[in-house]
Amino acid sequence: MKTLTYTSLLGIFCMLAEILNLRKFIIPIALVALCVIGGLTYCDLNVHFEPFFSDMLRVDNFSTSFSLLLIVIAILLIALSYDFYTAQKDKISDYISIIIFTLCGALALVSFSNMTMFFIGLEVMSISFYILAGTNKREVRSNEAAMKYFLMGSFASGILLMGITLIYGASGSFNLATIAVYASGQNPDITFYIGIILVLVALLFKVSAVPFHFWAPDVYEGSPMLITALMATLGKVASFAAFYKLFAVCFVDAGSHFKLVIAIVVALTILVGNLSAIRQDSFKRMLAFSGVTNAGFMLFAILLPNENGGSALFFYAVAYALSSIAAFAIAIAVSKFSGSEKFDAFKGLAHKHPFSAILLTFAMISIAGIPPFAGFFAKYFILSSAIKGGYFWLAVFAIINSVVAFYYYFKVIIMMFSKPENEDSFSPNFVYITVASIAVLITIIAGFAPGVFFIH
Amino acid sequence: MQETPINYLPILIQCVFAAAFVALMLFLSAIVGPKRHSGIKDANFECGIQSYGNARIPFSVKYFIVAILFVLFDVEVIFLYPWAVNFRELGFIGLWKMLLFMGTLLIGFFYIIKKKALDWE
Repeated sequence: MKTLTYTSLLGIFCMLAEILNLRKFIIPIALVALCVIGGLTYCDLNVHFEPFFSDMLRVDNFSTSFSLLLIVIAILLIALSYDFYTAQKDKISDYISIIIFTLCGALALVSFSNMTMFFIGLEVMSISFYILAGTNKREVRSNEAAMKYFLMGSFASGILLMGITLIYGASGSFNLATIAVYASGQNPDITFYIGIILVLVALLFKVSAVPFHFWAPDVYEGSPMLITALMATLGKVASFAAFYKLFAVCFVDAGSHFKLVIAIVVALTILVGNLSAIRQDSFKRMLAFSGVTNAGFMLFAILLPNENGGSALFFYAVAYALSSIAAFAIAIAVSKFSGSEKFDAFKGLAHKHPFSAILLTFAMISIAGIPPFAGFFAKYFILSSAIKGGYFWLAVFAIINSVVAFYYYFKVIIMMFSKPENEDSFSPNFVYITVASIAVLITIIAGFAPGVFFIH
Repeated sequence: MQETPINYLPILIQCVFAAAFVALMLFLSAIVGPKRHSGIKDANFECGIQSYGNARIPFSVKYFIVAILFVLFDVEVIFLYPWAVNFRELGFIGLWKMLLFMGTLLIGFFYIIKKKALDWE
């Protein structure tokens, strides 16, 4: 709870900082404050809390672990944004404060225990994303991304609200605990199941799972790259935490009727994400489709609501989010330098700046799922528990697909280690390298000591 | 009460009534209403002032911002009424919560004033 409160206060402070002539200090203050909030959140681990605000929020190890991950993601991305908006100096306070409000929504999404709080969290996060997608005002594609995301996201929110309404109508409560009791009781009403389907559709949209993924590539491509990174990591992780909380903890028994549907969605998501990613020539768009594929893997956790499901999801989220951030950090530096987001821009990076090439290689290897990086163990935990849970066919299908995925992850690595076309010297700012190094370091630590990242 | 689709029949009937009422009124006004045609009366926007030019022209965004802000700060008053009615029952906790709410709004107000959103010049 205090995490959410302090983060909101920090957001308000950043919003007003420009008026107080503190523009230069916004990013350092935000970073330090987020580190402090992260430390306070860490102290909440293994502490038992009573529900907050008449059972609107519940803080447990699941929510605390995810909050910590979200805060780390936010710290890394805000650090990256130090010169991202040099062209629009007067917008930096709005921009940072909206990112922090996004974090607030995400924090509410991982710790809600009431449907209204769930909706508020999702909307705070989504509306911030709509604004951020259009921050590159003069760019037509950024406007297009914001408009598309806004229209489709509003529809998804409408469907979600309808679902919550039907669930409320059937169970008579917004409270997750009460709904869970109703769901496991005798013969839930048919409207309850319809409500679950509508909530499922809206959440599948938010995590960009097939067949609700069509917005993702366009929005990811049109938005400024840093915002793409934010949506692909922070947004996805928070949505998945909420997804898990609803379907694996709340609707358990009633939701088990939809196992087959989710299994088919998993298979389709992994397949379509892969096939589309192969055909891309833009690195950013490739990462967008890779995000779709990874969403398929994370959906496995929803299929397997058992003791290990939460840990497996959290570990996968850590691996995916941090590898993506490392990849995005280098990609931002490269695209800033060359003005292009295509694969060609990475040509000869290993000769121009070997260290950043190595970092990007590590990030790609981690997402692809090769040991000793976290990505491998993340896939291993998810798939082994899938096989234990009786989804052998799906696990085999996912393994075949992750082999296919090597093709497009390695395309950029091959590009980097091929001969450069010109001899321009490339020296990225130390911030990009630092952020990418920290992210890669965490994935390596997670690869060697996965137990540290389990939720107990 | 057993939940069956038949229980929702009144809602269906109400929908039919609503649609039928609109259709009936349109039909009646078309038949009964007087009809006088003239160049001005058949204009698209007939309200006494001669229309000219195209409607698809750029307009000042400032008006739009003021309109949006008006909606924002106008709706907030709605929350004050129920609080005022239950002022005694809610006591000091209610007062503090309302102050927190108004404080948050005031920060927003301060922000838009400093951002010169209400500056017309």
